[in-house]
Amino acid sequence: MDFLRNTNIDFMKYRKFWIGFSIAVMVIGAVAVFFLGQLNMGIDFAGGTQLTLKLADEPEIQQLREVLSRAGLKESQIQRFGKPGENEILIRTPIVEGSEEGAAAQILDALGQHYNKADANADLNQIGTGSIAQLLVAANPDGVAGEPETVAAHYTAVAESVMAVRKEKALFRSWDEVAAVPGLTAKAFASLKSAASIGKFSPLATENVGPQVGSELRRRGFLAVVGALLGMLVYIWIRFELRFGIGATMASLHDVLITLGLYAFMGYEFNLTTIAAFLTLIGYSVNDTVVTFDRVRENMNKHRGRNLMKVLNDSLNQMLSRTLLTGGTAVLASLMLFLFGGDVIHGFSFIMLCGIIIGTYSSIYIASPFALLWEQWFGSVGKDQKSQTKSAPRTTPTRAR
Amino acid sequence: MKKGLLIKGGFIVGLALLSILAAYPLKDKLNLGLDLQGGIHLVLKVETQDAVRAETDKDMEVLRREIADAGVSSVATSKIDDLSFDVTGVPIEQDAVLNKAANDYLTSQRWDWRREGSKTTFKMTSLNERNVRNLAVEQAKLTIDNRVNQYGVAEPVIARQGLEGDRIVVQLPGVDDPERVKRLIKSTAFLEFRLTEYPKNGGGGVATRDEILANYGGSLPADVEILSQDQKDDQGRSLGLRYYAVQKRRVITGRDLKSANTSAGQFNQPVVAFHLSADGAKMFGEATGANVGRGLAIILDNRVVSAPVINSRITDSGIIEGNFTQQEVQDLVTTLRSGALPAGITYLEDRTVGPSLGQDSIESSTKAGMLSMICVVLTMVVIYRGSGVNALIGLALNVVLLFGALSYFHATLTLPGIAGIVLSIAMAVDANVLIFERIKEEMKVGKTVRAAIDAGFSNALSSIMDANITTLIAALFLFQFGTGPIRGFAVTLSIGILGTLFCAIFVSRFLFDLVYTPTRKSQSISI
Repeated sequence: MDFLRNTNIDFMKYRKFWIGFSIAVMVIGAVAVFFLGQLNMGIDFAGGTQLTLKLADEPEIQQLREVLSRAGLKESQIQRFGKPGENEILIRTPIVEGSEEGAAAQILDALGQHYNKADANADLNQIGTGSIAQLLVAANPDGVAGEPETVAAHYTAVAESVMAVRKEKALFRSWDEVAAVPGLTAKAFASLKSAASIGKFSPLATENVGPQVGSELRRRGFLAVVGALLGMLVYIWIRFELRFGIGATMASLHDVLITLGLYAFMGYEFNLTTIAAFLTLIGYSVNDTVVTFDRVRENMNKHRGRNLMKVLNDSLNQMLSRTLLTGGTAVLASLMLFLFGGDVIHGFSFIMLCGIIIGTYSSIYIASPFALLWEQWFGSVGKDQKSQTKSAPRTTPTRAR
Repeated sequence: MKKGLLIKGGFIVGLALLSILAAYPLKDKLNLGLDLQGGIHLVLKVETQDAVRAETDKDMEVLRREIADAGVSSVATSKIDDLSFDVTGVPIEQDAVLNKAANDYLTSQRWDWRREGSKTTFKMTSLNERNVRNLAVEQAKLTIDNRVNQYGVAEPVIARQGLEGDRIVVQLPGVDDPERVKRLIKSTAFLEFRLTEYPKNGGGGVATRDEILANYGGSLPADVEILSQDQKDDQGRSLGLRYYAVQKRRVITGRDLKSANTSAGQFNQPVVAFHLSADGAKMFGEATGANVGRGLAIILDNRVVSAPVINSRITDSGIIEGNFTQQEVQDLVTTLRSGALPAGITYLEDRTVGPSLGQDSIESSTKAGMLSMICVVLTMVVIYRGSGVNALIGLALNVVLLFGALSYFHATLTLPGIAGIVLSIAMAVDANVLIFERIKEEMKVGKTVRAAIDAGFSNALSSIMDANITTLIAALFLFQFGTGPIRGFAVTLSIGILGTLFCAIFVSRFLFDLVYTPTRKSQSISI
């Protein structure tokens, strides 16, 4: 099937408009992100504690806020997580001054007081296989005889089956659900019921990043992004010419900044995975641009002496079907990730989705015009490259205007 | 030509089979990251200063005893800081005794000392300090390893972060009892026995700090500190704190323990029974013998566990009582046996993922991945027809190779890693698109099918290489500076890129060669 064959669109005609438009959007995004502090810094970089909890009942956020506030954790943020009806919440607390270890225990304590009225028995929704097995071993309701190892093995198997059910349900809501656990005898159930309790929540994930690691992760994330950008600039510089390197780098910077602006606007959390997403985006964006530049280089060699703007336009047209096709499949793939990939990678897929769309636009409307601009501003000063000396004089300002 | 095709085909099929062999069954072979299977990731810091302080305390005490034993009973020591102390009370004419004791018991490599007037100042050498710190981290690593093994975790990772430095990374996949395990690892089980100063006989401590301070007229002597004890009723409920003033000097520490066991006390309550090493027994006997009637605080991780009265000289064994539950005694014995940690531990980073969250993540990301794949497949077949199928075979092979490589290299598949796979598949299509578009262009110029295929591949090659190398650069930087899940992502992305190059350039070419043989008169190509 032919798709956008033999187009002849003058992409470069409105380059000033597009560059201006993009710069405006970039500046707005950058101001919002860097000066207004709109970026929702996750605990990876800001440090702090984050708990993901599954509750038995519909969470009452306002009430929970008060509970945490009373426990001295005024600055906690509570938000819903996951699909509606799943009763999942996310609690985030900033770094506790002077401590590396965070407030997870404090939060769990406060919630325990609130929901479970400080029941001293072990909470089946919080302990794991080892502890359940130990409770059963201590009581030995099944009357297993023999070596301690045999007894332990028997109850470990039972405990594992209890945990398998909890893993499926995320938490036990009633003793009936525990009674239904396969392999749990009536006596064992009775002994669990007397030794343990069923709390109203279960921690799904607990994360704490202390100030030391937080600042280190910030540094490393920054180095990764800057390093990747510089690495690519150098690679393209070696493989092509500086002006193309600049064009490609500008294009990916453009993609990153605009996506970052959108990301901040959507209020997604900025964390380690975000850095990975942005680096992938940079890779994709440069990839997209390089392919076009590759054609530009080929055409420059084929039609020596033709002016750069025409070469750029021709190359963009020739590559148009490829650019849109590749961009299209990548957008489709990230759309699926975005829609169905779950909450944990929502931010990641959002970046890829927006980034690829913006990246496709920028490899057409930003990268090449920037290469051309660089040529116009610095082309005569550019010291080397035969192809450059041939094309440079023709892309004089008279023609460009 | 035919033979060449056969060899290529054999190579491709062989590689695919090897990958399947390496990755089958996927469930067992694939190493899932902590974010997918649940587990604990910890970065902890060994407070090596504790070890240095303990070393100084110990050497100072040994030296004092040896000098006293050699007949200079007026000898006294006082600590300056964690790295140095003064010895006083040794008359100048008996300096030889001091020097002999120091040379015998503190080898000259470990301490420098200089006499100035009536006092001799000892300073730990920097070499010794480095050794002590390094040893503390190594020992902590071993101890944690012991504890984790005793607890029973499959495939734990316990490694120092970097060659030097005081950090240890602990990864415990599949652990579903995070709070308990974290306590178990962290409890330094730093056990100390110290004499109480107020109340002199222990006596259950006092209710407030102020009461102790008042006793000393507002400020504590330099060698005394206040420690607290948790009071609990028999239901395990907290009854508040009791306070003791205890000497800073330790009689013995957990290091002097030879063994520890669970046992039952006089009221059948759970207690820890211990035996001391010969060295420890000597020191313990001396201190208890000289202080009958005083309280002896048993301190675990800077908390008073109990402070019984010394009734008589005790040498090589004893019990530790406290308000312990059976489980607490069990865990305490585990930690004491595995060797007390040589120094305190601080968790700098702690990420725990429960089993059900990981399960959810696997389900949703697999679903999203499948759907992405279907989208890509449909697009390719609709646009490129027969050649689209060619691309799909390449893609399928790419996926097989990817999982083969992940399994073979024991790389870890993380949640971002799954996203990485989906993306690298989507981007792998790019290489095919580049080639196919090029073939179409070459056909437009009037080339035959064969010639167009040849030209298409060779002309698209440099673009494909450039495009993928740039992404590889990004992946390398991610790997270099990333941690945990992000590294997993970088690895899958990199493997995906290499697979893409192989499939698009080599496999796809092979398939074209196979279908459009030079002898075939075909003038059309399904593209």
